[in-house]
Amino acid sequence: MTGWPSGRAHSNSTMPQNDSQESHYLSMFAAFEKNGASDSPDWLKTLRREAIADFERNGFPTARRGNELWKYTDVRPLANHVFARSDGSNHEQIDFAAYKLPCPRVHQLVFVDGHYAADLSTEPPSQSAHRAETIGHRSEGLIVGRLSEAIQERLPLVEQYFNKQVGSSAFASLNTAFVEDGALIYIPDGVSVHEPIYLLFITTGRSQVVTHPRVLVIAGVNSKSTIIQGYESLITDAKPGFTNAVTEIVTHSGAVLNHYKLQREAANAYHISSTHATIGRDSHLASVALDLDGGLVRNDLCVKLAEPGASVKLDGLYIGEGERHVDNHTFVDHFAPRTSSNEVYKGILTGASRGVFVGQVMVRPEAQQTIAHQLNKNMVLSDEAEIDSQPMLEIFADDVQCTHGATVGRLDATAVFYLNSRGLSTQEAQQLLIQGFVSEVLSAIVDDAIRQYTDDAVLTKLV
Amino acid sequence: MLDIIDLHAEVAGVEILKGVTLHVDAGEVHAIMGPNGSGKSTLANVIAGNPAYRVTAGTIEFEGEDLGTLAPEERARRGVFLSFQHPIEIPGLRMDHFIRAGYNSVMKSREEDQLDPLKFDRLIRAKAKVIDMDATLTKRAVNEGFSGGEKKRNEILQMAVLEPKLRILDEIDSGLDVDALRSVSASINELMTPEKATLLVTHYERLLTYIQPNQVHILMDGRIVASGGKELAREIEIKGYDWLAERQGA
Ligand SMILES: Nc1ncnc2c1ncn2[C@@H]1O[C@H](COP(=O)(O)OP(=O)(O)O)[C@@H](O)[C@H]1O
Ligand SMILES: [Mg+2]
Repeated sequence: MTGWPSGRAHSNSTMPQNDSQESHYLSMFAAFEKNGASDSPDWLKTLRREAIADFERNGFPTARRGNELWKYTDVRPLANHVFARSDGSNHEQIDFAAYKLPCPRVHQLVFVDGHYAADLSTEPPSQSAHRAETIGHRSEGLIVGRLSEAIQERLPLVEQYFNKQVGSSAFASLNTAFVEDGALIYIPDGVSVHEPIYLLFITTGRSQVVTHPRVLVIAGVNSKSTIIQGYESLITDAKPGFTNAVTEIVTHSGAVLNHYKLQREAANAYHISSTHATIGRDSHLASVALDLDGGLVRNDLCVKLAEPGASVKLDGLYIGEGERHVDNHTFVDHFAPRTSSNEVYKGILTGASRGVFVGQVMVRPEAQQTIAHQLNKNMVLSDEAEIDSQPMLEIFADDVQCTHGATVGRLDATAVFYLNSRGLSTQEAQQLLIQGFVSEVLSAIVDDAIRQYTDDAVLTKLV
Repeated sequence: MLDIIDLHAEVAGVEILKGVTLHVDAGEVHAIMGPNGSGKSTLANVIAGNPAYRVTAGTIEFEGEDLGTLAPEERARRGVFLSFQHPIEIPGLRMDHFIRAGYNSVMKSREEDQLDPLKFDRLIRAKAKVIDMDATLTKRAVNEGFSGGEKKRNEILQMAVLEPKLRILDEIDSGLDVDALRSVSASINELMTPEKATLLVTHYERLLTYIQPNQVHILMDGRIVASGGKELAREIEIKGYDWLAERQGA
């Protein structure tokens, strides 16, 4: 099981600070069980009940009583908000051009306020012929489809893999309790999927909505695929929304999976996500997480290198401005011998924003011949902006190559002068230097079309 | 072209330049020599407008215009160029993107044509060829992982692209082996025209056997203590700087 090592993750001593904050979700659950969730299979009904019970017991995390994992991020504003489930009626007027990947062929599933938008979802033309009636976009056994349909269909895959590595943190529990839709992606053994798989979660901001997107990815033996998950807000002066996403990934022997995330929710949005990945023998996960916006953002990315030869590359970019708060927790669990991880997270913080990076790396006693590199670099561009950067290395094996480093700096004045002396204004110089700073992360995206899309997103943001 | 009168400048509150006066005409090459820490780089940086240095007295005029209030990019756009003693590494910023942005800023300020990436690529290749530099270096991040010699050649490439009127070359010879020195010097000579002026900052007389100076100035403790022809550099090479210091003190 991947997750935060027990004892660290959830202190049982953490008690709800205010009954009403949780009770809103409890009564919402009672209503949901009666209608929305009433036709769930029994295993899922049981999971939902266990999850809501976990949530009731643990409550929202607080920074109190040594709850290390939440000491930099205060979720009280989120807990105090009253969000409703969406009825799914908001997606009529979406101009999709802004979200389109610049490539002709793409597997695309779009969700608006948590509800599947069939009119915005597509599949590569050549595969239409293979379309299976009920289970989304299928070709040669490939599944890129709605999770809700897979659950409806009682697809054994779902029960087999669902919620096996998530743990019982408050937010993941809420997601499991309220899970309605999202994606099931299954790449059969030996299959290379050439088109990007694009999962887009749009929040309209027309009402105060909470969504619980759930994505389950199973990458078969020696398969190759690329997934991008986008989180967008339709309007920027929106009603605050709460996106509570959970992604579960399992890669089997020799699988290569590129997993990209682009988060650009509104300045008043709450974005909480956790991603849990278990990486098989000689399999590789390349994760790139771009958090360009959002009001209160917390991402947990947990990767278990479960079998010999498993490797992961983790790249991240977070941008804070205004009053925003963006918190990235990563956890790499070197569980088996000859595993390697290489992590580079970069932050740019302006205004009165606050960034948090906590990078935990555990090398277990069995994990000999492990290579683990971690780097967190931050550019703090204003006096009020802040960053807390904390590496947490726990190494229990001896034949290990480990490095880690964290830097916090401003723009280098000598570099700005160097560019000035070639005719560039200070503003142009700063822009080029910041672009240079982020390019290492952006270049970790190897798919050309996605790279073009994400480069544009980041450059637009940095102007 | 360049008229410096009684220039005083400080860095971090310490006075480094203590009254420098210097005149350089178009078509001329002037060498500034002096021991380590005498203020050579400070002088070069102050002319180029590095905000880390503060001018406390005196004036710098370029083609009759007071540079004192001009930002460094304004000076660059008017034709002042500084080749850095220690060129800056900028990870993630491609050399050709960087210098095209600089080139276009300069052109824009002069209301001349800017170049798109394709046209600029042609220009930079041609310039790289002129100065005998491997053009593939221009596709790499600015100076990142460049050898000492490659960094210096990269400065000359930027100069070749921007075609400045006043070329301030701060220790262009340091870190170069004999062959590289000969080749870089040849490029500097080749790019020289009667409309341009060159200020060569150097430690060693050796550079001056490749690039003929019209005048040599010795900077010590923030002042020019001697000026003369090429033979002055020769004398320094043989006798060192101490005799000048003693003469100055006396
Ligand atoms: N940025 C700086 N901060 C503090 N001191 C400096 C700085 N730049 C130069 N100096 C000091 O100014 C003096 C002159 O330096 P410099 O002009 O670099 O000399 P040169 O180029 O002749 O070797 C030295 O004592 C040096 O330590
Ligand atoms: Mg110097």
